Amino acid sequence: MSSRTLRQVIVYAVVCLAILLVPSFVDNAFILNKYSRYLAFGILAIALSLSWGYTGILNLGQAMSFGLGSYCMAMALKLRTVPVHTGAEGLPDFMVWNNVESLPWFWQPFHSLPLALILGIAVPVIFSALLGWFIFRGRVTGVYVAIITLAVLVVVNLLIIDQQRFTGGFNGITDLAQLEILGLTFDAYGSSSYYLIAGALTVCLFLALAITKSKVGLILQAVRDHEERVRFFGYDVAYFKIFAFSVSAGIAGVGGMLYTIVMEFASPTFLSVPLSLSVVIWVAVGGRQSLLGAAIGAMVVTGMQGALSESEVFLDTWSLIMGFAFVLVVLFLPKGLAGAVEAIYARVFGNGDKGKSDREKTQAGPAKPAAEPGGAE
Amino acid sequence: MKGDGNGNGHLVMDDVVIEFNGFRAVDGLNLNVSRGELRCLIGPNGAGKTTALDMICGKAKPSSGIVSFEGIVLNNLEEHAIARCGIGRKFQVPSVFRELTVQENLDVAYCKKPGILANLVRFGSGADLDSLEKLAELVGLQDYLETPAGYLSHGQTQWLEFALLLAQDPELILMDEPTAGMTAQETKKTADLFLRLKGRHTLIVVEHDMGFVKEIGEIISVMHQGKLLAEGSVEDIEKNEDVRAAYLGSGGISGA
Repeated sequence: MSSRTLRQVIVYAVVCLAILLVPSFVDNAFILNKYSRYLAFGILAIALSLSWGYTGILNLGQAMSFGLGSYCMAMALKLRTVPVHTGAEGLPDFMVWNNVESLPWFWQPFHSLPLALILGIAVPVIFSALLGWFIFRGRVTGVYVAIITLAVLVVVNLLIIDQQRFTGGFNGITDLAQLEILGLTFDAYGSSSYYLIAGALTVCLFLALAITKSKVGLILQAVRDHEERVRFFGYDVAYFKIFAFSVSAGIAGVGGMLYTIVMEFASPTFLSVPLSLSVVIWVAVGGRQSLLGAAIGAMVVTGMQGALSESEVFLDTWSLIMGFAFVLVVLFLPKGLAGAVEAIYARVFGNGDKGKSDREKTQAGPAKPAAEPGGAE
Repeated sequence: MKGDGNGNGHLVMDDVVIEFNGFRAVDGLNLNVSRGELRCLIGPNGAGKTTALDMICGKAKPSSGIVSFEGIVLNNLEEHAIARCGIGRKFQVPSVFRELTVQENLDVAYCKKPGILANLVRFGSGADLDSLEKLAELVGLQDYLETPAGYLSHGQTQWLEFALLLAQDPELILMDEPTAGMTAQETKKTADLFLRLKGRHTLIVVEHDMGFVKEIGEIISVMHQGKLLAEGSVEDIEKNEDVRAAYLGSGGISGA
């Protein structure tokens, strides 16, 4: 393990530990619930960092996977609500109102909680793998990928709204039971949910880190830099991109499932265009080439959004302030918060870190050999 | 349907045609390169040299004719499949992974197992580290292993590309104008490197620098307007009237 990797692992571990320790200091159910929501968004941001920052796939439909995961969880919890809210044989209330007589086939698997949890990841993964197969086998790249993913998001969103009988339409799926695993109940406003989400964030973060540190991660970054060249080394680029796209979808699905737990409902807004575009902003602010940076970016931006929109002073102007902050980051921190932290670290500890100091030496350039005339052409 | 009707069938291009919107960039090219040979491909601008390389490595697909390597027809294979047959390519425009360090570049190029699962459980450089470092030393980049490739000078980038090819270790190496933008010294170094590679690898080199061609070439193929105009040793080519008329001018190879 290189010193840089080791340093990264330590920083990631410290941050995750700090996140896990928050409930020891915060004893307010409302605030804990709010923080849990931010953490779920953090997971979503990790997913985008993996596909956008590391592989160069700008997925504007990342919220689709988030939403699919969210609906899977909501369907499972809906089937567990106490009978008073539901129709005959546990038929969800909105189905009764829409004259649906029996539970449709695609709701059946959600009677089993373990299966539902698997589906919350598998559905977005399979959906994205299929979509990715068409996009990347067809060698669609760049802005067209962004357009296609955005369009697919809109289609899925409209489909869910349109199929009110089976999905609850605009209202989404509300009135959910609390998640219960092995006798543990995850109350949306309790610390148990917070720990669950913080734990999941840690797992997702380290899983993604492991992928980026493996040779696959290296090849993904090479694909981002120069896709064409990678092919001529014998790698099937499409499969690597489908892999990154699908893993990213799975992580987003986990985020969506957890988000439903703390929100206590699923709604079409979870796979809406505004949310999907917000993720891009979070990741850009945090630093798209840093998984941790992206996660922190999501928490900082949504946290600021929450704080500003709740305070009376900024009630009318908060979105303006957020926009301004985003412009500042893009202008002055092209690599986001993570890039800024790394630059500061390099300046302070520059001499102690061999890799970094080497890079700077080259930039400064006195040691460059004489083989320069080519560069001047 | 194998293109080994004539010659030994190492690399064979048999009556290959490629058409772009009615324009025949390569028009009935026949080329036969044997194992371990260092073949120079020369010709005026627009003769179809780069396109010929493109068709070998899969970047362009022939409209008709057969390209085969070791008896395997390459026409309908994807680029990565062709690369796995043992064909590597250096492009005219420097193409390295600019945000990756020199060592990471080499690590990507070293691809004995190109699948996803095999690479998912591989961390760091493992046992190959030494050989990759030796490669970096060979091209004078041993002090830049941790440097992102984007910070290298043009000349260093060219050498990194050679190193990438050596790490990939293909049987057949295609070089498109390897000495473009190099100093005389570097060109000499490149010639030495090619002469060392010859024998163990098969090389096809597209080049404009006639001095360089004379230094490394044993058999030269001259292309003109998408066809093979002449083929032979440096002396044969210099004497060839057609070649003089089409390309070299009255001064012969040395004068070009």
